[in-house]
Amino acid sequence: MDDPSQTARRVVIGFGDAANLPEADDLPTESMPLNMGPSHPAMHGTVRMVLEVEGEKIRSVDVQIGYLHRCFEKEAENATWTQIFPYTDRLNYVSPMLNNVGYALAVEKLLDIDKKIPERAQFIRVIVGEISRITDHLTCLAASAMELAAFTVFFYLMKAREWLWELLEELSGARLTHSYVRIGGVVADLTDDFCPKLRDILRRCRASIADADKMLTSNRIFRDRMDGIGIITRDDALGWGLTGPVGRSTGLAYDVRKDHPYLVYDRFDFDVPVGSKGDNFDRYAVRLEEMRQSMRILEQAMELLPAGPVLIDDARVALPPKREVYNTIESMIAHFKLIMDGIVVPPGEIYSFTEGGNGELGFYIVSNGTGQPWKCRVRPPCFANLAVLNKLLPRLFIADLVPTFGMINMIGGECDR
Amino acid sequence: MADERQAPSAPRANVKMVIDGQACEFPAGLTILEACQRVGSKVPFFCWHPGLSAPAVCRQCLVEIKGFPKPVPSCYTPVADRMEVVTGSPKVLDVRRQMLEFTLLNHPIDCPICDKAGECMLQKHYFDWDARVARNDGGKVRKAKVVDVGRHIVLDQERCILCSRCIRVCNEVARQPDLVMAFRGDRQLLTTAPGQRLDNPYSLNTVDVCPVGALTAKDFRFSMRAWELWATPSVCPGCATGCNIEIHASRNLIRRLVPRLNSAVNKYWMCDDGRLTYKHVADNRLAAPTVAGAPARWDAALAEAARLLGQARDKSPATLGMVLSAQMINEDLFAFSRLATECLRTDRVYLAGSPEGWCDNILVSADKNPNTTGAKLIGGPTLRTAADLQRDIEGRVVTALLLVGEPDALGPLESLQTLVAVSSHQNPPVAAAQVALPLAMWAEVDGSFTNRQGKVQRLYSAIAPAGQARPGWETAVRLARALGAAWTYGEAKQVFGDVCAKVTLMSRADWGKPEMPVQLRFANSRG
Repeated sequence: MDDPSQTARRVVIGFGDAANLPEADDLPTESMPLNMGPSHPAMHGTVRMVLEVEGEKIRSVDVQIGYLHRCFEKEAENATWTQIFPYTDRLNYVSPMLNNVGYALAVEKLLDIDKKIPERAQFIRVIVGEISRITDHLTCLAASAMELAAFTVFFYLMKAREWLWELLEELSGARLTHSYVRIGGVVADLTDDFCPKLRDILRRCRASIADADKMLTSNRIFRDRMDGIGIITRDDALGWGLTGPVGRSTGLAYDVRKDHPYLVYDRFDFDVPVGSKGDNFDRYAVRLEEMRQSMRILEQAMELLPAGPVLIDDARVALPPKREVYNTIESMIAHFKLIMDGIVVPPGEIYSFTEGGNGELGFYIVSNGTGQPWKCRVRPPCFANLAVLNKLLPRLFIADLVPTFGMINMIGGECDR
Repeated sequence: MADERQAPSAPRANVKMVIDGQACEFPAGLTILEACQRVGSKVPFFCWHPGLSAPAVCRQCLVEIKGFPKPVPSCYTPVADRMEVVTGSPKVLDVRRQMLEFTLLNHPIDCPICDKAGECMLQKHYFDWDARVARNDGGKVRKAKVVDVGRHIVLDQERCILCSRCIRVCNEVARQPDLVMAFRGDRQLLTTAPGQRLDNPYSLNTVDVCPVGALTAKDFRFSMRAWELWATPSVCPGCATGCNIEIHASRNLIRRLVPRLNSAVNKYWMCDDGRLTYKHVADNRLAAPTVAGAPARWDAALAEAARLLGQARDKSPATLGMVLSAQMINEDLFAFSRLATECLRTDRVYLAGSPEGWCDNILVSADKNPNTTGAKLIGGPTLRTAADLQRDIEGRVVTALLLVGEPDALGPLESLQTLVAVSSHQNPPVAAAQVALPLAMWAEVDGSFTNRQGKVQRLYSAIAPAGQARPGWETAVRLARALGAAWTYGEAKQVFGDVCAKVTLMSRADWGKPEMPVQLRFANSRG
């Protein structure tokens, strides 16, 4: 079972069995370059892969990224600390809240206010973050299922994602680009009926996910395309810096929420699912289970959600309420200074990391004591995860590329920034 | 800033003291505030100004001194031996906050419409030292919002925080006591003295020193937000004094000029006339070369100019003259002087310029040209005067003329057979010239002026030249090349190097570091 291309395939072709055909290597083929992307429907996130194929077999692959480069890091140097939130929305754009939270935590550590964030704000950050993790995984699984022709599953999961996004839209005003988190907390409290609505959505999501589970997990076609394909070993995961579901599928039980708890994650009871084989199916299964664990966290968080403010009480960090701005000179000045000069972050540097949808999302930030970052470097999880494709794809079939790439879940906005 | 001040007249012993736990030594006579600034301890202030006397009215600079029963104003208290000063004790911070709260109590909520927003000391100090929410919910004391106090100035009495800096500027700089405080308590207000208007020649300095937006310049008011301006160091072209200034420009337009500290020339100040010199830069400019009155391309116009001048030279160099202006920078003057001797082979170089005007013994010179000294040093003893020029034209001694800059007085031009003008503006000589070449002005070029004291002072390019205008030295180089010389100047710095090498009295001048425009938003509040 060590060499996936030799052992894992049993593809039925017509009335014969692929295993009974002569070895592909024996067929007279000559290698041919094949372009996939950057505008190939399966290359979501705009990535280009230049394959060298021999018949249906991939001999080598050159993964070319950068098509979605938006100068995030350079733009950040010309924006105030607060103005960067909308840019972070567009990193991993299927889980913007997680990026918002990751960035806010980095700046808060540099400001040394990370211990003073109101508890309710921390709970809300966990809630919106875990909702985003679910939407992230839903998107990944839905798209991959669709690419393997399971269109029904796509609709089931997309519908669930939409319920969650509608809730976040109600909360933040934007379906996708929430910009809901602020340095020092979140911009507004939860809407009045947020928790009942979320409970109802989670109930329906559970059903959708169970349906998808039923339609995929024991589906012969799906399993044939996933099992034993794209195997990554635990050592490789460590060596390539793979994190998130991709890393965990290899049995590497690393989850920032458990290993380096931030916010209030240490107060929740949840498990970190890991795979045993490191193949595409394990990555699918880990994601499926992670969504269920996120739902557990959500239910506990709603249970424990304390009352109180959602933004730090510090005029040098948090914008004052509009009523105060319009009616008192003190808050007017504070508002003016925060908007025009930005929050003054003391000089220093910080690497702060959280568990994003795809793994360890890190922000390395340098401040020179002004209202703008001197440097704002992102460690995008799927950048590292994608790199392993160069090792993974050779010797697979072209058709295997699609689910393997799908399960790596490269998000161009985050990978290319 | 403080160390720019003159040392006390008699040398006195140094005092040894401690500021914020740091042992230090200062000359006696220094105030505690200045001492704190030297060691980098931050002490805020409103009423203190390095160029004015200290009345200690704002109470922002209070510090604690060990053994003193209560905080003392550091701007007013001289340093003394064995003094132990604390600038950031809880008591000091608390007092400072309370004073800010008092100051803000009746301050109108004007930031969105206030010209000073973004460079306001009140905003800065509130954010740095207070940053607490308002505790009063009563109304504010209302005062007059638009008081036309002078030719250049509008006063908003509500915004005034009663620091009295403007009163001291009038008393101590302009030596004309135009402003006073009236009434007491929360009704106290700034106003003009009975029968007076704020019309002294230095009135706009009150706008600079105003820590808030109480005094605003009519010229700049509501025209531009301060943080959108880009500041470039320069020198005022208004007279021979050469006050050091900052050009504040945005979108390639100069919006205002403000004085820049130079303790040897203008200290912190400049006159009102000087501030308005920028208007000339955007006004009625010659944007493109012309040949026989019609717009032409640069190379065509240069070729025609060179042909005309070459013809005149070959006919008779003695009838060929060149007019330079004392408004020009040293580099242009030098390049054209060289052109006259080396390429046109004439010694008929005339110096023109603006006529004399009013003066005082504060800053304003009677000579309204910024570079008369430089022009005379570069031109040497053979330089002729504007009167000579008029006489020579009328007497038909000169029949061909290369006119550079903007001479105000010329003779009858119709007697000239050849007239080539290098000019920044549309004017009668340009209209009469066979060829006119556009000239970049002082705010558009890198260069230098030599002021009445003989100080060579740098100008930096703050905006792009109008239209197709080019620096004068560059035009001189291209004319020289067209006339057969092999000059190699590529930038103003090289011309300046030659000026220093050739002119003995400017041999020690320094081109200095390159300066880039700085956006005021990122230069922090100017205060």
